[in-house]
Amino acid sequence: MGTNGVATSEAVRDAVYRACILLDDEKWSEWLDLCDDTFEYEIGAWSPEIRKDMIYFSGNRDALQNMTDMLAKHNTDHSPLRRHATVYTIDENEDGTIDVVSSLAIYQNMLDGINSHIDAGESHLFVIGRYVDKMKMKDGKAVFLSRKVSLDTRRLDKGSHWPF
Amino acid sequence: MPARNHNQWKADPPLKDGEWLDSRIYSDPEIYEQELEDIFKKVWIPICHESELPNAYDFRTATIAREPVVVARGPDNTVRAFLNVCPHRGMMIERRPSGSFAEAAPSGNPKRMTCMFHGWQYDMKGNCVYISREKEGYQDRLCKENTGLRRLRCEVNFGGFVWVTLNDKAMSLEDWCGEAFKCIRGPLEAEPLDVFHYHKAVIGTNYKLWHDTNSEFYHDFMHYHNRVTGFNDAYFARENTAFENGHVNVGSFEVQYDEYEGFESRAELSFPGLPPNQWYMVDLFPGMNFNLRGSALRCDIVTPLGPDKVMIEFRGLGLKSDTPEERRTRIDHHNTIWGPFGRNLHEDLIGVAGQGSAMLPGSEPRRILHGRHEDNLIHDEVGMRHYYDEWGKWMNRLPSNPSLPYAPAEAAE
Repeated sequence: MGTNGVATSEAVRDAVYRACILLDDEKWSEWLDLCDDTFEYEIGAWSPEIRKDMIYFSGNRDALQNMTDMLAKHNTDHSPLRRHATVYTIDENEDGTIDVVSSLAIYQNMLDGINSHIDAGESHLFVIGRYVDKMKMKDGKAVFLSRKVSLDTRRLDKGSHWPF
Repeated sequence: MPARNHNQWKADPPLKDGEWLDSRIYSDPEIYEQELEDIFKKVWIPICHESELPNAYDFRTATIAREPVVVARGPDNTVRAFLNVCPHRGMMIERRPSGSFAEAAPSGNPKRMTCMFHGWQYDMKGNCVYISREKEGYQDRLCKENTGLRRLRCEVNFGGFVWVTLNDKAMSLEDWCGEAFKCIRGPLEAEPLDVFHYHKAVIGTNYKLWHDTNSEFYHDFMHYHNRVTGFNDAYFARENTAFENGHVNVGSFEVQYDEYEGFESRAELSFPGLPPNQWYMVDLFPGMNFNLRGSALRCDIVTPLGPDKVMIEFRGLGLKSDTPEERRTRIDHHNTIWGPFGRNLHEDLIGVAGQGSAMLPGSEPRRILHGRHEDNLIHDEVGMRHYYDEWGKWMNRLPSNPSLPYAPAEAAE
């Protein structure tokens, strides 16, 4: 980390946590505004069942815009997700990019997925994993170049179609 | 018609027998227990794909009707299945989902299945090859020859899936479902397949409701946006074909992916011998689905966990010979429709969860309709009628009144 390491770390943490809030609030376009035009996104997992790395979703910024634009046109489980990230490591590379690894737990707050009379308001752990981000500094802010959501969870019940 | 009072609500619908059923078959605990005994312990179940155990001594574990099962590839390259239970004290022998017996276990030797509890060891044919302090404890009263594993019938077939039955007297796998697979057998068996996707969902619903959703396409109204953007006349002309043993398949048509909003043509990649953008579906009794859609094969396997709970395992497969670019394309095509972040799967799961929550054990029996007749075409519910006629035979129960013994339905097909 260079002489501006503290400022960079603060900017990186701010970007990771701000992204969580925007995703939680389903402000997809504002979330994408935190990302570079070349942004690449992937959700994946290692499967001990088939012993392979798997990709559950991948796309560039346009694909994500398309995906999030489409969400309102499909039937959905409206149970909100709450993303809890803790930034563990921030490593600056020689080319100026920054590798960031955060621990991730996402909770689901039940609304209408099953029987809302009984389940609405209940919260439970939905998935666990890590954010593996690559960022760069631009105008004093950390900008996402790529994000890999590396899940441990391979049981994905209904309600899993939102970007994590 | 105004909303109905209780008697009207409970009255039989003005349809023929066989065109509706009693919802107790989706919720009654006694019926569920009988299904495990009389169906799931009797039929062939695909439990994994051979590419999940590519090397000698690789294994994979599963469960059929509460019975733990292990399949292992022997040094002779043969895949064999056993009850995953040590004959000594009933311990589950292998607890991991997959792995290799080539490595030594803390309690046992390499190339052996070892029960960690007391160190009994078995070879890849299920022979007991080691009993700890055998002579000291059993003298000559019991020996390794008496303590082999319970072997299960196992075949690798229909595109490399590993099929197991708990029933030593089951009909051959070929006779069980060979006809239903005919429409996709060529593309699936032209060259080895490879699994690239696995995830599971546990849903509060009966396993048959998931199979129903795979069997009927009338629910394309739920996938409304896909329906209005991507479906054409050829889609609605797809034909349902019923086969012996309760299986059904849905004929193909050429999907116009570039008509779907946000999609591009997928004609660039297919399966061997399969024209581009075709879409076949094979629904196997009692709850397995093989869905070949252009460039990717999807397979659903249900494991019932209760009358109102099911685990569904989802797999995606391509060709073992895929280049990295081809594999990436297949994965993308698979995920955008069938992945956990795709367009269709979450809607299907919400649909059956909603059915499950309205048909809990003890809830008032309802009349569930499957009486649509449309010349066996895509919205004809012949697939479900065929399935439930078969279900009635296996259970010796009448689907429309499961308290009564089976009788052929007037409108079974």
